[in-house]
Amino acid sequence: MGTITRWFSRATEFVAAILMAAMFATFIIQITIRYTARLSWIGEAVPFLAPDRYGWTLEFCLLMWVWIVFWGNAFIVRQRDHVTFDILYTHVAPNVRKWFAIISGVAVCVALLASIEPTWSRFAILRLKSTATLDQLFGPDLKMRGIYSIYIAFLVIVALRYGWRAINAYRNGAEADLHHYAEIAEETDEEFQTADPK
Amino acid sequence: MSFEFAACILTLFFLAGIGTPVAYSILVASIVYLFASGQSIGIAGKQLMDGLYQSFILLAVPLFIVAANIMNAGTISDRLLRFCIGLVGRFRGGLGHVNVVASLIFSGMSGSAVADAAGIGKIIIDMMTKSGHYTRGYAAAITAASATIGPIIPPSIPMVLYALVSNTSIGYLFLGGILPGLLMGVVLMGMNYFIASRRQFGMEDPVPLKDLPALTVNAFPALLMPAILLYGIYGGVTTPTEAAAVAAFYALLLAAFFYRALSLKAFYRILVESARSSAAVGLVIGGALILNFIVASENIPNMMAGALLDLDVSPIVFLIGVNILILLLGCVLDATTIILVIIPLFLPTCRELGIDLVHFGVVAVVNCMIGLITPPYGILLFVINAVTHIPLGEIIREVIPFLLLLIVALLILILVPEVVLFLPRQLGYQG
Amino acid sequence: QDKVKLRLSAVQSETDQRSVAMLEKFGPMVADFAEFEPHWNGTLYAQGTELEAIASGDLEMSITSAQELATFFPEFSIFTAGYVHQDAAHQVAVFNDPLMDPFKKKVEDELGVKLLSVMYLGRRQVNLRQPKEERTVMTPADLAGVNLRMPGTDAWQFLGKALGANPTPMAFTEVYTALSTGSVDGQDNPLPTVVDAKFYEVTKQIVLTSHLVDLNYIALSKAAWDAMTPEQQEKVQAAADAAADFGRENQLKKEEELVAFLEEQGLEVYEPDVAAFREQVQKMYLESDYAATWPEGVLDKINALGN
Ligand code: NA
Ligand code: NA
Repeated sequence: MGTITRWFSRATEFVAAILMAAMFATFIIQITIRYTARLSWIGEAVPFLAPDRYGWTLEFCLLMWVWIVFWGNAFIVRQRDHVTFDILYTHVAPNVRKWFAIISGVAVCVALLASIEPTWSRFAILRLKSTATLDQLFGPDLKMRGIYSIYIAFLVIVALRYGWRAINAYRNGAEADLHHYAEIAEETDEEFQTADPK
Repeated sequence: MSFEFAACILTLFFLAGIGTPVAYSILVASIVYLFASGQSIGIAGKQLMDGLYQSFILLAVPLFIVAANIMNAGTISDRLLRFCIGLVGRFRGGLGHVNVVASLIFSGMSGSAVADAAGIGKIIIDMMTKSGHYTRGYAAAITAASATIGPIIPPSIPMVLYALVSNTSIGYLFLGGILPGLLMGVVLMGMNYFIASRRQFGMEDPVPLKDLPALTVNAFPALLMPAILLYGIYGGVTTPTEAAAVAAFYALLLAAFFYRALSLKAFYRILVESARSSAAVGLVIGGALILNFIVASENIPNMMAGALLDLDVSPIVFLIGVNILILLLGCVLDATTIILVIIPLFLPTCRELGIDLVHFGVVAVVNCMIGLITPPYGILLFVINAVTHIPLGEIIREVIPFLLLLIVALLILILVPEVVLFLPRQLGYQG
Repeated sequence: QDKVKLRLSAVQSETDQRSVAMLEKFGPMVADFAEFEPHWNGTLYAQGTELEAIASGDLEMSITSAQELATFFPEFSIFTAGYVHQDAAHQVAVFNDPLMDPFKKKVEDELGVKLLSVMYLGRRQVNLRQPKEERTVMTPADLAGVNLRMPGTDAWQFLGKALGANPTPMAFTEVYTALSTGSVDGQDNPLPTVVDAKFYEVTKQIVLTSHLVDLNYIALSKAAWDAMTPEQQEKVQAAADAAADFGRENQLKKEEELVAFLEEQGLEVYEPDVAAFREQVQKMYLESDYAATWPEGVLDKINALGN
């Protein structure tokens, strides 16, 4: 069980890293092309660099961005990574904190589950809508609904995660996810250790 | 206020108050709003996706996060710090000055104050406490205060967010931040000198002047980064969003090939960590986009503009009033939330009153950055407390003089718009 | 009895001629049975999502473009192609001609959106940083190597390429800075936009290519339309037409006045060899994938309605 979870979390992190790297690389391509486009002989001499082959870069970066956001929040963002207003949460008694965690878990779970069907019906019309520029890359079959579908996955996964969090808090209390600034500190330490110059 | 809007606000405050992540609190609150007003709750997701998929300027956010992470991991911050010590370590309050100057330089590369404090801030606090000349509270306080400069000097994630909600040019906002950032740096150094003299802080051993050239050479490629960024944007090579990618790319080249301090594995971790923080920030931004939709359907900004115009306030009174409000909200709210959710409420009034939106934006961002060090909710205080284990109480006590001083600097920015607008005007801004 | 609520969401500002026309003509003319509630600056629904909002019943009205319709129905690209519409009057003739019926019907059936009337946006012109003595543009060949900012979709980029330029996508808010620093060499827009966005401060010449006589449609939810009585429908139709006419006259007048204003600002404004542009642009469109989506014979019918 533990191995499967670890393997799964590595795989989802890998996807996120790929999305990030793709976005980063595409930006660099876009700037390079913008720059070489001024020298029109380059496009003629090296057809691969002709600027009109790169109309997709902007929208592709946007596609990567929304997928990073929703893939990320579904799979790799932890409770402590979120912007949270936690003054009250960290200062109440453990028993109250437990109920705080249960209530917020249930609220998020119920609201997101309830919105799955209505959201999908709002996306329905997008099955007809073409992307602005991604045909060049993916062909005409990719419609906007395909791009937006990551949001539905996000709704399902996050609803399950918060449902689970509520159940877990009910059984075991909510003391496990306190101290998140301390964890930031540890991570920063690690980063600096790995970064030590040779 | 309609019933459904009241329900939305109540849900939002309740959920956020009990520790639900702000992004999910907004999402649930907007679902409650849509449900109570008889609209489809699917609108929330549609708005969120549409907003994120269209906002090209938002792409700067993940890229600046990547850039900051590379710099922290790839010893670039380290080298800059050693250069600063050589430069200003010799004066009274030496490491305090180093702290401010390092923030000024470092801020020319990272777009985020928290990255600044967690990265370079930790190293310098250790140095200051080890030197034995400063109390640990003072070291933490001046680090926190100077980290607020980070997002004032370009590049800046908060300014990107403001550009998003106000439709102003990121290029001019960035330019507008330079002089205010320098002003804040100067007043902080002045205060540091004053306190160091009065409290008789010991002096550091000065780095021999003959070492300075070597330190400079070592840090030079990193020092070039702000210049490259600004040339990229204002020399017409890149858009401000692309400049973020250039910053990250340059940092990567420096760290990986020039300083040889970044392994492939470390770069992979940076990508994962950057994706993680970008996703968390992106969801708050998305949530704010839905809230803005709700606020627009309730017609609130226009009602506020109308009410304020009826009150017949002058632009300056309005500016001061709004800034007091932001300062107060900054004590309890996150900067991202203020910029994305609260500030848009005032924009129609600004337009009506003829207040320049670049000026307003820079002032508002400075104000929100001050909010990062105002107790009880000051994220920089928390992060430094977490990284160094210096008690919050000690940090807060020592940060108060700096806080008051930054508020004075803010007042100057409000009263003298030229400080903000001088540079943008030099490059063609018509405000 | 309760009034019908007609919420309109559109991206332009409150002072844009289209907004003024809707506020001054449309709103008052339907006031006895409908509450017209406009939201400008894209504050309610983001740009390009209004049609979807109408389709899912979350919005009643919008001011939409052929470009947006073309993302759903590729055949609308005929109205986004360069040199198809010849002038404002030609646009109206095309919109009211039976050739338009299958287009309107498809939008009604599949999106649930009724196109009420056609609004005139203006003639798009090429606006460059370089002064005329450095680069005089008479034919498409003279635009070779010019980085011309165009909106960032394939359709716009294609038009830029057809004009002979090197089209560069960029967000509208960044264009002024990009022109002043030279990250692009020029942009294309109708003259009123050149003035409103103050592009004349950072550019030196305007080439009156008139390469696209741009239009918008006043769009209404089909469901809202079907819920109205025949008299109400008649009033809504008349109000939309009146707003479109009013806006068109204002925009035409403005375009005429602005030439003099721009010349006062030191810009050179001149006409190129428009026939040469038209010939190249039409040729490129007919060879492209776009023309493949145009229904048989429609282009001929459109041309026949012009001069
Ligand atoms: Na910065
Ligand atoms: Na605060």
